[in-house]
Amino acid sequence: MHNEPRILKYTEALREATEQAMAEDPSVFVIGLGVSYKNGADGTTAGLKELYPERVLDVPVSEDAFTGMAVGAAIHGMRPIVHHGRVEFALFAADHICTQAAKWNYMFGGNNPVPVVFRINVGRQWGNGPQHTQSLFGLFGSVLGLKVVIPSSPYMAKGLLRAAIKDNNPVVLLESRWVFPVKQEVPEEAYELPLDKAHVVQSGNDLTVVAYGDGVIAAREAIELIGDQVDVELIDLVSINPIDEETIHASLKKTGRLLTVDTTSASFSIGSEVAARALRMSDVTFRTTPGMLSCPDVPCPTSTALSEAYYPTKVDIANAILAQCGKDQITKELTFEELHLPPTHTIV
Amino acid sequence: MSTRLDAFRRMTLLRIAEEETANLYLRDKIMSFVHFYVGQEAVAVGVSDSLMSNDRAMGNHRSHGHYLAKGGDLRRMLCELLGKAEGSSHGKGGSMHMIDRSAGFTGSTPILGSIVAIAAGSAFEQKHNATGDVTVAYVGDGGSEEGGVYETMNLAALFKLPLLIVVENNLYSVNSKLLDRRSKEYSVEGVVRNLGLAYAKADGNNYDDVRSKATALLEGVRAGKPAVLECLAYRHMAHSAPIFDDAQGYREEDVLERRLAEDCLKKMKARLLEEGSSEEVFSDIENEIRTHVLEEIAYAVAAPYPSPETLYTDVYA
Ligand SMILES: Cc1ncc(C[n+]2csc(CCOP(=O)(O)OP(=O)(O)O)c2C)c(N)n1
Ligand SMILES: [Mg+2]
Repeated sequence: MHNEPRILKYTEALREATEQAMAEDPSVFVIGLGVSYKNGADGTTAGLKELYPERVLDVPVSEDAFTGMAVGAAIHGMRPIVHHGRVEFALFAADHICTQAAKWNYMFGGNNPVPVVFRINVGRQWGNGPQHTQSLFGLFGSVLGLKVVIPSSPYMAKGLLRAAIKDNNPVVLLESRWVFPVKQEVPEEAYELPLDKAHVVQSGNDLTVVAYGDGVIAAREAIELIGDQVDVELIDLVSINPIDEETIHASLKKTGRLLTVDTTSASFSIGSEVAARALRMSDVTFRTTPGMLSCPDVPCPTSTALSEAYYPTKVDIANAILAQCGKDQITKELTFEELHLPPTHTIV
Repeated sequence: MSTRLDAFRRMTLLRIAEEETANLYLRDKIMSFVHFYVGQEAVAVGVSDSLMSNDRAMGNHRSHGHYLAKGGDLRRMLCELLGKAEGSSHGKGGSMHMIDRSAGFTGSTPILGSIVAIAAGSAFEQKHNATGDVTVAYVGDGGSEEGGVYETMNLAALFKLPLLIVVENNLYSVNSKLLDRRSKEYSVEGVVRNLGLAYAKADGNNYDDVRSKATALLEGVRAGKPAVLECLAYRHMAHSAPIFDDAQGYREEDVLERRLAEDCLKKMKARLLEEGSSEEVFSDIENEIRTHVLEEIAYAVAAPYPSPETLYTDVYA
């Protein structure tokens, strides 16, 4: 029995990091719509209200005010975790996130930390459409004064959330709803992962694939589809502010080929930012023009008949990898479930 | 002037259209976010019946009823719920984005509270062009807590906009109770009146009460005194699924027996019986409407999906 792996869902991993931080530090509190429910915040705050009734706060539908209140509490010594169930709701609090929390330390000449965590759910989810599925990675990535990470797995979710809580700056976690049911072995003890380092998921010599969040899941599946035709180095960007250029640089020097994978539209995307930085690396010799995969430059529609062509699939990614390396394309029909339902597998 | 039996007919349409949609969703596992209005029909129908045909209404995430009560097309709504090309938004929007401009229902958004300011913009246009029409904004008790709603009330009073904000108070924002979100001292009436708007409170489970209070307020609204009509009504189904959720145990006041006792359709029938109507009349109407709704659902199920190229259309006008 004791050798059974400890498998947690992404949402459970976030919950565990939160509970551990709350147990250790009485200045940590959780605030957001529905965080006190039995299955609060998609399970990421489940049961915490019973454990810490004074530190788990359900709120009126007043994102601007409760986010500002959390920022104010952080400025005065607490460590709030603010939850926004969709990025569109967080935009009501754009001032507090982007202009107040993000600039506070700088505008007072330093020594004015704002240790607040903004947990913001983003991205694809069936049937949710143009006003509930934006990701806005580029927007958050462009706000100076924020640290911005995108956990792609349960292991990472737990370690990054803990690091975010401990950090003395405003940290935004952009959590792809699509990844919520994904499972992985997660150690019980608390651990931190760096907020500013990319993660090399697998190393390879032919091509560097840079992805993040749910794109990493699809990229892993694509690599599986291709088999050993191409020796791919897969980099999970993890942080988009800052972007870990060192890891990308080391990889590109080896491979000379780049493919970026975005799970949002192309313009002002993370892929464009990565490509722009890569092209400025003067000692990298590109063997092909860098490739970019993304959603088209349109909002995400609601009808499944339209949304099925919206997100890059594992087949799209596989073909982009093959194209970069001059190999033949593959064809594979995806099922309705593969196209529209989130993955539930266990990452090994 | 429409009769009470006409109103019963419209409320029944709202109810049956959603009941049958819920069945369809469960049976065919339809994947589109959906919030049912079942239980609150007296609000939309009572308010709509006190409007003139050129008046406008705008809604939120729970707007099937607001749309149908204003005269929105049933077929295009059902097609939209199923993501079909003939849907009112050609499948781009889905359940949370109802629109039928020809009926004066000029849009709805699930971003809570936002519709109130947008509806104030509609009212601004109406005032600017001296059309004599008004705009109704439907917002929930939860949505009404957004700062922008308070700001809009101030603006509307300042600019004397012909705006009626209908706050549908169904006691919950998802499963959060009013007292999870407001102090005991919170008074909607106090807030509204002190910002300079008129206020009335109606029993949202009672068509006649909603209609008479709305009619009274609208006289002032048309003359430039914006108003809030707060309607207390029960949401019978879960927050956002085609199911009943009593097993979750969060409901206090609006438990099943209470909801059934206060059901707006039941109350309406009692009133109509007093006026000499009969159970037979009711069941004839219900059967006729159910047949119609099922035909329209069959049409929507068979209707074609939008073609893939339309993914790229409509970003700009
Ligand atoms: C700005 C914003 N915050 C949060 C949500 C998530 N949300 C969707 S519906 C809902 C409850 C709304 O309650 P209420 O306004 O009372 O309407 P009801 O659902 O009761 O009809 C919440 C919190 C949202 N859609 N928009
Ligand atoms: Mg409500």
